[in-house]
Amino acid sequence: MDKLIAPPEINMERLGEIVSGYGQQKWSLIPLVQEIQAEFGFIPPAAVPIIAEKLKLFPSEVQGVVSFYEQLYTEPRGRNIVRVCRGTACHVRGGKTILKLVKRQLGLEENETSEDLEYTLETVACLGVCALSPTMVINNQVYGHMNPKKIKEIFKREEGTCS
Amino acid sequence: MSRRTVFVCQGTGCLSSGSRAVYESLCSEVERLKIPDLKVDFTGCHGFCEQGPIVIVEPQGIFYTHVQAEDGPEIAEAHLKNGVPVERLFYRDPVSGEAIPCYQDVNFYKKQQRIILQNCGHINPEEIEQSLEKGRYKALEKALVEMTPEQVIEELKAAGLRGRGGAGFPTALKWEFCARAPGSKKYVICNADEGDPGAFMDRSILEADPHAVIEGLALAGYAVGADEGYVYVRAEYPLAVSRLRTALKQAREKGFLGQNILGSGFNFSINIKEGAGSFVCGEETALIASIESRRGMPRPRPPFPAQSGLDGRPTVINNVKSLAAVSAIINRGAEWFASIGTEKSKGTVVFALTGKVANSGLVEVPAGTPLSTIVFDIGGGIPRGKKFKAVQTGGPSGGCIPAPYMDTPVEYENLAQLGSIMGSGGMVVMDESTCMVEIARYFLSFTQSESCGKCTPCRLGTRQMLEILTRITQGRGKDSDLDTLLNIAKTVKEGSLCGLGQTCPNPVLTTLQYFREEYEAHIREKKCPAAVCDALMISPCQHTCPVGIDVPRYLEAISRGAYLESVEIIRERNPFPAICGRICHHPCELRCRRGELDDSLAIRALKRFVADWYFENIDQIPSPEPFARTNPQKVAVVGAGPCGLACAYFLAQMGYSVTVFEALPVGGGMLSVAIPQFRLPDEVIRKEIAYIEKSGVEIRYNSPVNINFTIDDLKKSGYNAVFIAAGAQKSQQMGIPGELEDLEGFYYGLRFLRDVKIGRPVKIGKKVIVIGGGNVALDTARTAVRLGAEEVEIFYRRTREEMPVSEMEYEEARAEGVKANFLVSPTRIVSSNWKVTGLQCIRMELGEPGKDGRRRPIPVAGTDFFAEADTVFASVGQAPDLSFLPPDSALERTRLETLVVDENRLSTNLAGVFAGGDFVSGPGMVIEAVSAGRRGALAIDKFFKADPTRVLIYDQRQDLLIPEAGKEEEEPEPVEEELDEEIWKPQYRPEIPRLPTEERKHSFKETELCYVEAEAVQESKRCLRCDLEQ
Repeated sequence: MDKLIAPPEINMERLGEIVSGYGQQKWSLIPLVQEIQAEFGFIPPAAVPIIAEKLKLFPSEVQGVVSFYEQLYTEPRGRNIVRVCRGTACHVRGGKTILKLVKRQLGLEENETSEDLEYTLETVACLGVCALSPTMVINNQVYGHMNPKKIKEIFKREEGTCS
Repeated sequence: MSRRTVFVCQGTGCLSSGSRAVYESLCSEVERLKIPDLKVDFTGCHGFCEQGPIVIVEPQGIFYTHVQAEDGPEIAEAHLKNGVPVERLFYRDPVSGEAIPCYQDVNFYKKQQRIILQNCGHINPEEIEQSLEKGRYKALEKALVEMTPEQVIEELKAAGLRGRGGAGFPTALKWEFCARAPGSKKYVICNADEGDPGAFMDRSILEADPHAVIEGLALAGYAVGADEGYVYVRAEYPLAVSRLRTALKQAREKGFLGQNILGSGFNFSINIKEGAGSFVCGEETALIASIESRRGMPRPRPPFPAQSGLDGRPTVINNVKSLAAVSAIINRGAEWFASIGTEKSKGTVVFALTGKVANSGLVEVPAGTPLSTIVFDIGGGIPRGKKFKAVQTGGPSGGCIPAPYMDTPVEYENLAQLGSIMGSGGMVVMDESTCMVEIARYFLSFTQSESCGKCTPCRLGTRQMLEILTRITQGRGKDSDLDTLLNIAKTVKEGSLCGLGQTCPNPVLTTLQYFREEYEAHIREKKCPAAVCDALMISPCQHTCPVGIDVPRYLEAISRGAYLESVEIIRERNPFPAICGRICHHPCELRCRRGELDDSLAIRALKRFVADWYFENIDQIPSPEPFARTNPQKVAVVGAGPCGLACAYFLAQMGYSVTVFEALPVGGGMLSVAIPQFRLPDEVIRKEIAYIEKSGVEIRYNSPVNINFTIDDLKKSGYNAVFIAAGAQKSQQMGIPGELEDLEGFYYGLRFLRDVKIGRPVKIGKKVIVIGGGNVALDTARTAVRLGAEEVEIFYRRTREEMPVSEMEYEEARAEGVKANFLVSPTRIVSSNWKVTGLQCIRMELGEPGKDGRRRPIPVAGTDFFAEADTVFASVGQAPDLSFLPPDSALERTRLETLVVDENRLSTNLAGVFAGGDFVSGPGMVIEAVSAGRRGALAIDKFFKADPTRVLIYDQRQDLLIPEAGKEEEEPEPVEEELDEEIWKPQYRPEIPRLPTEERKHSFKETELCYVEAEAVQESKRCLRCDLEQ
């Protein structure tokens, strides 16, 4: 996929610091990549050989795990992660329309990041807040009982706080 | 707790509704008012998130719902300081609307038995002391001090606890296998990878009562001889993880975890593993792989984890709920636990009840509770007056269980028998606006993307099924698709390693089993009955309308004051705007998307408004020109009811010459002879028929088609095709003694209505009983009231649910004094001297569902009773009357004395002879008759053109006002964008004006009145213009 987004500079020193904390304990690959992701927002491809060396794995094994899990990312993501729930309860209460309207609002398709890296739009299988369906989450803030009016209001507010 | 505590819920749901601000506001208000002996505290999730933010004041248990920060001062001042609870924040019962002050009295809680969830919402999960006060860790202490590990397992075995993760495997056996497995290092794992969409009980428990899980895991560790435990939590639950971390720290500090716990020599520690977003990791072997930082893919079993699990060591994996149940069992004993539930499923089960249900939330009930109790009693039924359709249990791999099976007790085995599973306990309620094909597609899209790819049947099968289902929802399905689907589903079920593959075909299989007709409608008629599948429609209202009127356009025309244009748009598809504006059962309104927001549009009343406007201003409007005759063929239509006239009108529109033959001196069919004046004045029928005649349709009255003038004669006299629409006007007999004795005081409702309409004298007594529950029965009863009967009662053998009459009509009838008795059936008409004196009856109950899916009423022995009456009407249904056809007619008949007719093309066995409407399908709604008429017209057109294809009735945009086709798309419509903001504000539909009850009761004046112009225009502007979405 050709992406116009220039990958942000990766602080390799910091990456090395994180990696150096691992290697003693067993089963540390997933916790390690999760920490890297928490720091950089994604797992830079450059990190894969470094991790592999430290954990005495093949790079393909590291890549295999990273690509298996939905919430391990190999591309930079937006500062704000918008996730619209496509769980069953949300689905029967109109979650599909909410997704459509959020797409329109942000001008993004699923799993796309805006060019200015402001937003990434994703869907999530279930947030476990089904009683408030349809729901969506921006970063860690859950919004329940979504409707078209609320979408407008929320993004108006978000824009106010973000820029 | 002697002192008063205010608990503010801070579960994920309530937090998202603003409960943190509520908590802060209450804290500062209590501080400011210096209220003594009162603590403001918070709790984890109650499982009633929809009502959130929730505030409970203990010890009284005062229960506030939907509390906002602004309510803080009022609660503090009025309730906490002055002792007067704030009524406006009480929970309101969704059925009765009654305000209920205490949570113990709320139906949602009252009918539950909470064991696993007992502390949820009642303790602060971040303070271990509160858990200890509730007896937490007593079970661990008891086990460590008084019991051997074997005794713990024996206790569990006696309790009969089965895995609450979904599969229902006996927990004690798992533990026993692991305990007996050789090896010194063993593990226990809590599976909190709650991946099933629609299930959130594990989240709630972790957020609200984390020590329950810790204690359960420690007990498991003790029982199997493990010193290390893991909790695998999905990444989407950050709050649960943080609460669990806090709880673990406190448990360690208190010595419930760590070395030499409570001096017993037992060592145990717990680690948390956060998932990385993979559904299949809920499967135990995949979960283990994920903890080991590998790709989370399942592997074949055996060996089972109890022999070789994490790191190749014996491992027990239990669900959050199973572990939470363990401590209760150890504390209160196996006998107590086993006394709850059923023979095969002991204890309680937890469901996450969501979807189209009034009370969404977590429900814990004894196993064996009927589904209906959960959905209707605890869940409060379906909101917005919609009809229940199905309940889906067990997450995306579960099945959809339809209404007739709602009395099934929930048990692992019972659900499996219906094609579903207990699964994670998700329970999603679906109403009539859920498309079952689309929902199957939705579940498949989920399982397809989550299939790990290891087993070929699952990897390829889910993809193929998804492709077929997608095709069907887009109107590109083929007849063979259903068999293919079944085949693939069976292969995937049998040929997959793990639970995902083995169960993911369930949604497809159950929807195919219970809702096959919906699939067929998508495939054959390109119709989505629930009006959900976007690709098949332009707007839901138009799609649901049997004749496909472009509703949004005619509403838009009203909003501009273009009333003539509006009527013309309606007439494109329905020549009876004034009639349908009065008596249509308006299926369109039930699917109106605005109805999800506030009220659906008053589509029917608006239709009446423009139709009435048309006839009021008819003098100023140019009379319709007869349609140009562009085709040489001539068609005869038998019967001038709505079906026949519609067929004639549309044939004329297509350029054919049409003659309608009517036996009676008036047109309108059942509309004229059965529907009373107070619902549909004669004058309205007359005007609409006149319009049709002006459009070029010839109607010959007093011209019966019978043995003297047959269908053959019609063809011989030059008609190239004949459409029979003779209606269903023969009253059905009840088949009970007394019916055929020609008793004075016994009549058929239909005959009575007709006599009243044509002004024949009728005799009516003081005490009237009407048998039946349909429109004719209700009209008969209401007519009897108007003719002076003192008491009028309806006896119906089913319940109000099954009555095919609208809520408004039913309420009007009741207001006029008609009483309804349900579940009673007559057994004999009692008479004396050839005069009716009463009715012998028997009470009924609803039994097993019949072929039509409705539960069949069956008599209850020994409940006979006598009901006094001097007049009895029977209105138990109508049937077509074929007696006008000569006995030697070549038209093929069914055994039920109807014609054999192709349901798509309405053709009979004789070329050129077609039949439709009530005459073919039995008594139905007016709009369905109009639809059949239009279908007949299209079929006859195809017949003339020698086109053998099926009649397909697509939704069409009616661009009659846009001269150049295609221009519309180029022109921007700035109005819509501006509308956007305003239109989402809640606006309710104005009430449809009607005559006051007293005035109604004594006259035949039309009961329903028309909107005034301002109201109509305002109402039409509420339309969300779904048609412009695409």
